[in-house]
Amino acid sequence: MAQPTMDRIDARAKVTGAAKYASDHNLPAMVYGHMVTSTIGNGRIVSMDLSAARAAGGVIEIYTPGNRPAFRGTLPPPLAPVFAEARHPLADSEIHYYGQIVAMVVAETIEQARDAAALIKVTYTALPPKSSFEDAKQNPADPPVTGLPLGQPIKKPQDVDIETALAASQVRVEETYDIPPRHHNMMEPHAAVAAWQNGKLTIYSGTQGPAAHALELATVLGVQPADVHVISPYVGGAFGGKAFTWAPALLAAAAALALARPVKVVTSREQLFTVTGHRAASSQTFGLGTHRDGRLNAIKHHTTSQSIVEDPGYRTTPKYYLAPNVDIRLMVTPDMNLPTATIMRAPGDEAGSFALESAMDELAVRLGMDPIELRMKNYLESTLIEAKPYSSKHLDACYRVGAERFGWSRRSTQPAAVTDGDWQVGLGMSTAILDSGRASTTVRVTFRPNGTATVGCATSDAGTGMWTIMAMTGARALEVPVDRIRPALGDSGLPVAGNNDIYGAVGSAATSTVTPAILVAAKEAIGKLVEHATTAAGSPLVGAGDVRYDGGRLVGAGTSVGFGELLTLTRTAEVGAQGTSAPLDESHAYASYAAHFCEVRVNRWTGDPRLGRFTTVVDAGAILNAKTARNQITGGVLFGLAAAMFEEGKVEGATGRISNANLADYLLPVNADTTEIDVHFLDHPDTRLSPTGARGIGELGTVGAAAAFANAVYNATGKRIRTLPITPDKLLA
Amino acid sequence: MEEQSRDDEVSRRGFLLTSAAAAGLTAIAEHPRPAVAATAAGAAGAAVVEVALKVNGKARTLSLDPRVTLLDALRERLDLTGTKKGCDRGQCGACTVHVDGRRVLSCLTLAAGVSGKAVITIEGLADGDRLHPVQRAFVECDGLQCGFCTPGQVMSAVALIEEGYAGSEAEIREHMSGNICRCGAYQQIVQAVRMAKEGA
Ligand code: FES
Ligand code: FES
Repeated sequence: MAQPTMDRIDARAKVTGAAKYASDHNLPAMVYGHMVTSTIGNGRIVSMDLSAARAAGGVIEIYTPGNRPAFRGTLPPPLAPVFAEARHPLADSEIHYYGQIVAMVVAETIEQARDAAALIKVTYTALPPKSSFEDAKQNPADPPVTGLPLGQPIKKPQDVDIETALAASQVRVEETYDIPPRHHNMMEPHAAVAAWQNGKLTIYSGTQGPAAHALELATVLGVQPADVHVISPYVGGAFGGKAFTWAPALLAAAAALALARPVKVVTSREQLFTVTGHRAASSQTFGLGTHRDGRLNAIKHHTTSQSIVEDPGYRTTPKYYLAPNVDIRLMVTPDMNLPTATIMRAPGDEAGSFALESAMDELAVRLGMDPIELRMKNYLESTLIEAKPYSSKHLDACYRVGAERFGWSRRSTQPAAVTDGDWQVGLGMSTAILDSGRASTTVRVTFRPNGTATVGCATSDAGTGMWTIMAMTGARALEVPVDRIRPALGDSGLPVAGNNDIYGAVGSAATSTVTPAILVAAKEAIGKLVEHATTAAGSPLVGAGDVRYDGGRLVGAGTSVGFGELLTLTRTAEVGAQGTSAPLDESHAYASYAAHFCEVRVNRWTGDPRLGRFTTVVDAGAILNAKTARNQITGGVLFGLAAAMFEEGKVEGATGRISNANLADYLLPVNADTTEIDVHFLDHPDTRLSPTGARGIGELGTVGAAAAFANAVYNATGKRIRTLPITPDKLLA
Repeated sequence: MEEQSRDDEVSRRGFLLTSAAAAGLTAIAEHPRPAVAATAAGAAGAAVVEVALKVNGKARTLSLDPRVTLLDALRERLDLTGTKKGCDRGQCGACTVHVDGRRVLSCLTLAAGVSGKAVITIEGLADGDRLHPVQRAFVECDGLQCGFCTPGQVMSAVALIEEGYAGSEAEIREHMSGNICRCGAYQQIVQAVRMAKEGA
């Protein structure tokens, strides 16, 4: 069955420069805030010499710990204080990490603010920072109890003695896999334009969840959530980095209130590395024990990380393979002098899948077994711990179809056996599994006299294609052409149900959350429209008994009228209704699946590893727009490959400074680093999850991609690299 | 406990500013010198330069702080916010515009340095409602996700087709590599460039 496909409806605005992102708003009398950050990693501010900065032209105000903006509350629990920086910007003179905000200059122009910021002299008392994860991971601590499942041990059976179970296994591997810190580096830096009027805040600030952002801003600023209006129709990339509220938006809002003028704050690229969240480094030990035939007997998955926010054990291991003995644990390295850790695309899943799928490859080598056969031997039909059946799982078909498309049978089982001139060529594969789900959410559908209908929800589109998905789903529900649907998102004034759906586009769940609610709301709105047609003065159907809605028209009493015409005749500006989707059926577990296949070419003289080919076969339920879904998968795969090939936040242990906090030194893949990624979608709508049958895809490509690359590197060279990124120095060593 | 004064970051920044300004000034030397006038409004010897630009075919004159980059002149003075600031350091390509027909990183270009020149931004590419063929191809091939890198990608793509660097996929990838796309829409971007080139 051909999957529906459509050009992005926001593409025109984006290719013409008409799309307005947060910092693209220029308001009358607006002024500019520029942040100043600390140049020590631990200690305190002794004094600040602001005289030169104050004397510089155009400076209006300088906020410092001694002249703090008014923050009245703290980020609302349970999620925001765990996943974002709980401490207010400029809260006091203590320095917790290198690059912490120590001042914000507000001036008439961007140049005046920036240059005055450079004139501020800060004197510190510096202490040796605890910034080296390499050191800290030697003495980890138990994780804090937060009420969240993250960080809690998982055991099967409850009294498992995993070391004994491993020792009793016929074949074993036990290895440690290390991943350095990473930074979202979305192309649009965190930015906000804030303006107050009559005690109400309007803020243009890019966010994944407009309603959550409004709630968080309101709580910290000490105003009612209804008095904060977040406007965020376009978000220049987020990847988890814009799921919660960070200092730039808080400072813009507080300064705008105090100065009674609109304030624009744009984070510099260097500042983004420290004043907003990042993915913390992790170190994972996997012990796998099997019977000689490849059936797993024991899985040990022990992780150490800076905090609980990304827990590879919880997120990965219980959904991959069947085993009778399982021990999953997270330890943390608290109180480090490092910037705040938060979630990043496929949190926990990405790190966990790199380690697990590398370890499975090592096990396959030891068993002398094909890596796909090993995975099929341990295939899960229901969840590992609760034994909940999966709603719809076709991972076996992903392996089969992928192996065929990619030419897996041509792989040499002997590593370092295939060369092409100066290049060693290897093939590797991995599995991607990503939990799916959805929140119950609320959508409003409104008919208008001009023959269009609005479909609105306070969700977000940071490049996922949600604008288009909402239009397509609205068109389907209202049986009208898609160009008559006006989607609305990225605005905290739009409806939400008020549960976890306030976080908007997180957990790859936006499509599965919003689309079923569109169907419900459309039904409600059609009901209201029929009622209007039979009762409103001016309607040709007043009093008719058998009126029904059919393809945008109201039909009955031997006549019919389009809804636009009807509302024109009845002189009505709009008729509509809200609808809230039903809660998730918890009797089953839900996940999306993919099988990744990767060819890597390693230069035998320089050790340079290059991406050769990549195929992925995806089982993600119904694909609602093949064009944007494909882009999500290829982009997601590249995001995961970037971890394998390039990305590493380099923290100087002695100072806590990130030495590569810019886009020349923190390497991201560019066009020439990549190749055409072959994506194939299976088509098995998951109608138990929702009537639209769509599961999550946004993070799926990312999961497992690094392992496919690392496994191909092993096949090419015989070298097993367990510390990312896989750089030439490691392959030449 | 160690007592230390750390203002070296400040001087490092100062150095960067000075060197960026110096780079811009080299460019100025080749062109008609903009008029520089001391102003009472500017503090501590700050000056204002008169800058005449032709932006998207329209003559614009601006009295600018000499520190203003072309990027900030477009975005903050002329409200042409289609051109994006991804790094402000010449490392991402989001701010790419055309100056006298050549690709330029507007964040590394002082506005005063291009006085008298013709600047084309993403807003000046379409012919009224009719998209430029490269813009059309980006829409059709889905050469974008979040769209933040897109103005820079499109401006680079237009120039590279005109410069004759769109001959093969490898050539396109190489010559589009100054524009980072964190969303990773590279293969769709390459398809768009090929489509636009074939139609050109
Ligand atoms: S903003 Fe100019 S290159 Fe990044
Ligand atoms: S489309 Fe988001 S960075 Fe390129």
